[in-house]
Amino acid sequence: MLSERERERYKRQILLFGEEGQERLKQSHIFIAGAGGLGSPIAIYLAVAGVGTITIVDMDVVDQSNLNRQILHSDRDIGKKKTVSALEKLREYNSDITVNAVDTTITAENIRELVGRADGIVDAMDNYPVRYLLNSVAVEKKIPFFHGAIHGFYGQATTILPGKTPCLECIFPKAPPKEVFPVVGATPGVIGTVQATEVIKYLTGQGSLLEGRLLIWDGLSSTSEEIAVCRNPACPACGAGPAGNHECQSTFFCPLP
Amino acid sequence: MSVKVRFFARFRELLGTDIMTEPGAGTTLTALVSGIAQKNREGYDAIFDEHGSFREFVILMRNGKRVETTEAGKTAVADGDEIAVFPPVAGG
Repeated sequence: MLSERERERYKRQILLFGEEGQERLKQSHIFIAGAGGLGSPIAIYLAVAGVGTITIVDMDVVDQSNLNRQILHSDRDIGKKKTVSALEKLREYNSDITVNAVDTTITAENIRELVGRADGIVDAMDNYPVRYLLNSVAVEKKIPFFHGAIHGFYGQATTILPGKTPCLECIFPKAPPKEVFPVVGATPGVIGTVQATEVIKYLTGQGSLLEGRLLIWDGLSSTSEEIAVCRNPACPACGAGPAGNHECQSTFFCPLP
Repeated sequence: MSVKVRFFARFRELLGTDIMTEPGAGTTLTALVSGIAQKNREGYDAIFDEHGSFREFVILMRNGKRVETTEAGKTAVADGDEIAVFPPVAGG
């Protein structure tokens, strides 16, 4: 049940999805992998929206060069663990929710336990090896995986619903190389808030998700496009499962309508 | 014949986009894209490896359908095709 305080706090969004939607957010648990450029806006917006339990994982320490984009952290946090700084900020934003901040490196060994019984996984990572791990655990647990990635002024996002949409490995069978990527903070701001919006829509049952669609944001020309993406029946991560989109199985990418 | 090539994100920065070409009959996807990419060394290197093959992470689409980059050297373009070349990004 929502308290009187919560009804007041969330008044303007209860107009969108009702107390029932707000209650669903409160009962939900979202796992955010990373407390950096993408993880910051994702965690902040999910916290202020009233997602009842947020687990956020990062192994890093706040560095001065993070501050142009990682808005969970500020000058006073330099040298602190990102989890410590993230926990402080998220509590300041919303003390009514539960935040678990876990200082660890995500590995094939610990990932299942870390994700636990979360209702969804949000990708705020900076590399594909860990993204593939998150993807396979989402597929295994049959929970949604909200993908986002950025470079410079560019970004991409898609929402993966195991058994229904293509998974991350269907879409990107080969990882682009890891690099020190250039970035202006507004770019993960754009993509992270797209991901947070997807999570809120999924949990409250609103609108149409980025299902089978890869959103491509080009901040330099201020254009966004989308590519229709389909399941790969031979995908090593999800290919053995029952197909959701039979009409798309001849190709990974299907024609735009 | 007339074929349009669209580059996305960083490829677009280096090579431009919506490039109209008039390839000869039998031109393959690899030959078409590498011909355009030649105009900018950095752009070429971003898309192709030292053997002139597409880098394995590059996403190549023809009329909205994915073409495996390993098949691009055997796939001829046709009049009216629209080719899209997209680099997935990795940062977070």
